[in-house]
Amino acid sequence: MGQTPVLDQFLGSLQELVQKRDGAKVQDFLQLEPPLSEIYQRMVSELQQNYAPGAKAEAELLQRCEPLVPRSKGGSWTAFPTFVKLYLIFLRDMNTDNLLETYNQLKALLNQCVLALGDSQMGVVVLPTVLYLSKVLAKLAMGLDRRPDLIAHIRRMEGLEAQDESVEKVTLVEKSANVVREAFIKCLTDRTGTPGPHGKPEGKRIGIYLMANLCLKLLFQCGKLRNAEQMFASISAQSPPLAYFPASQRVTYLYYLGRYLFANNLFFPAAIALQAAYDQCHRQAISQRHLILSYLIPCNIILGRFPSQALLQRPEAQGLAAHFQPLCRLIVRGDYLTFRQHLFFGSPTAEWFARKGILFTLRNRCEILVWRSFARKVFMYGGSWGGPQAQAQKGPPPVLNLKKLVVATRWLQAQHASPGNAPATANLYGSQLVSEPTDPDYARLEGADGRASPATDQEILEKYGDYLAPDGFYTEEGRSQPNQPGQLVDGDPEDDYDDYELDPYAYDLDDRTPDSSMMQEIESIFASLISQGLMGGYLLHREPRFAVPGAKIKGILPTGFPNVWQTISAREGQDSSVPGWVQPRAPAVGAAGGGRVVNLAGARPVGVQ
Amino acid sequence: MSNPTTQKTDATEQPPSQTKPQVLEEDDEFEDFPVEDWPQEEAEQTSGSTANGGSEHLWEESWDDDDAAEDFSKQLQEELKKVEASA
Repeated sequence: MGQTPVLDQFLGSLQELVQKRDGAKVQDFLQLEPPLSEIYQRMVSELQQNYAPGAKAEAELLQRCEPLVPRSKGGSWTAFPTFVKLYLIFLRDMNTDNLLETYNQLKALLNQCVLALGDSQMGVVVLPTVLYLSKVLAKLAMGLDRRPDLIAHIRRMEGLEAQDESVEKVTLVEKSANVVREAFIKCLTDRTGTPGPHGKPEGKRIGIYLMANLCLKLLFQCGKLRNAEQMFASISAQSPPLAYFPASQRVTYLYYLGRYLFANNLFFPAAIALQAAYDQCHRQAISQRHLILSYLIPCNIILGRFPSQALLQRPEAQGLAAHFQPLCRLIVRGDYLTFRQHLFFGSPTAEWFARKGILFTLRNRCEILVWRSFARKVFMYGGSWGGPQAQAQKGPPPVLNLKKLVVATRWLQAQHASPGNAPATANLYGSQLVSEPTDPDYARLEGADGRASPATDQEILEKYGDYLAPDGFYTEEGRSQPNQPGQLVDGDPEDDYDDYELDPYAYDLDDRTPDSSMMQEIESIFASLISQGLMGGYLLHREPRFAVPGAKIKGILPTGFPNVWQTISAREGQDSSVPGWVQPRAPAVGAAGGGRVVNLAGARPVGVQ
Repeated sequence: MSNPTTQKTDATEQPPSQTKPQVLEEDDEFEDFPVEDWPQEEAEQTSGSTANGGSEHLWEESWDDDDAAEDFSKQLQEELKKVEASA
């Protein structure tokens, strides 16, 4: 065996650093990103010359790495020498032409490092290294995710392309997230010092949010937000308060937490988390502040708060006004059809929202606000209450005849009518107000009476005859029974079953007209607005009306159409806690023992010796 | 990987010769901060730039439109009047 002066020196110095428990220097020593400095390149050639690939070389390398860890009484830290051995092999074999192989080796290396992190005494020494390797792995995985062409030829060669498509593909990014999550758990569950929500970030716990943030970044990248749920639950249960961690970690964590809550339709806590991220973010970190605002603003819009001019003029808000201001204007205007066109999937105005992953959320959540504005305007100009200047007086409460809303809606629909955008009144199935492309299953139900025509019957029989009119069937007693060709087993679909069936509908289909079914939908929309507190009053059904009683104190409009943000924040703001955000515990007040946990693990059941 | 994303990547990656500069905003990655920690003062907007100090008005809570002269409202009023006259 030849001389290996650089390797000798490397291992010697590493041993010293481990003895001193200097984690930062250990990480600094374990360089692996190209271009490597000259001294590392010399070590690589030493490794290539003296430890050519093979089991023998591996065993020898491991032997050389074993003295790196101090022999303690409680068993030694064997995971670390194995890790350094893998590191040396990684350096020796690194081949940037095969990035897939490099990725796999790097992942194995990080895995081993996470095992080393698990040691209760020494693990903390490799915490900076785990973080460093995680970052390099994340960078590589995300880079390959963006440029799949870089490894496409390797995947083809290895036959990975032809994988079973029914199995959910686990991307490199997701695989990386899974390894990083292991490291996160090791940090979170460190028992040294005072663990749990009362503890301080010490030992491996200083890495909790560093690892969590990296894992969240990867999960967002691969679109597997669901996998973050357990992480947030574990943090809620076991992490020291977020406030004890540095600002960069707090802001990054609150940004991801806010986006996660937003994606789960928890807009109020999401707004709190994102607002805190924005407030704590360094004012010169324009790019981060911009990203935070891109989610904080839609979150607030959904809650009924629009961005002010002052906010939109800030440097970090550059470009956001162009997307959010038209949306706000449409909500104020109350034209639900223009609103839908604006956020129609595929329209140029919707593209930016789609890319941010907030298109459907905005479309689904803001439409009710548009309807509120529309109803408010029809009430203002068509309600029986004497106009905006009128004072609430004795006598019947102000009312709006909902027929006015049908008229207004028909007028809106006529305004938007064009060959490609016919109002949804063609048949009685489906909605008068929601014009969606016809579901293929119902596409045939187009007759004037809304029923299938005999012509389509024939077509249906051709397609589904083996099911509707089979050659035979089994009777209730389970006996096989032949069937006449072409005979429908279940009888004529138009047969009258009224005598046998309960009618689930509150109305008779034959009584339906386009106006009556639109009225039903408008009543439903009003009922929804009232039940959400976005409108104040009650509905009369026989002669459909919306009435606003008790408007003497606040006035008619503020009573009938209360402020959206104040309504929502009064309802949601009762619980100011944000799931996933650990707050410092307020010092216990009041009765002694309140909130104190009594550990009963050692208690025995009564009567047991 | 979902299709739209793949298509998007293809669209931006395939013609490398074409000069379609990647807009900064397109990158949705939350970058690492260059500094680890900072005091809260450095997070707040400098009060000098705003008239009313740090407590700038960021959110509009009252946005209902009461302007009867606005185009949409005007047309709506006329439409509702027509029905009243014919009823």
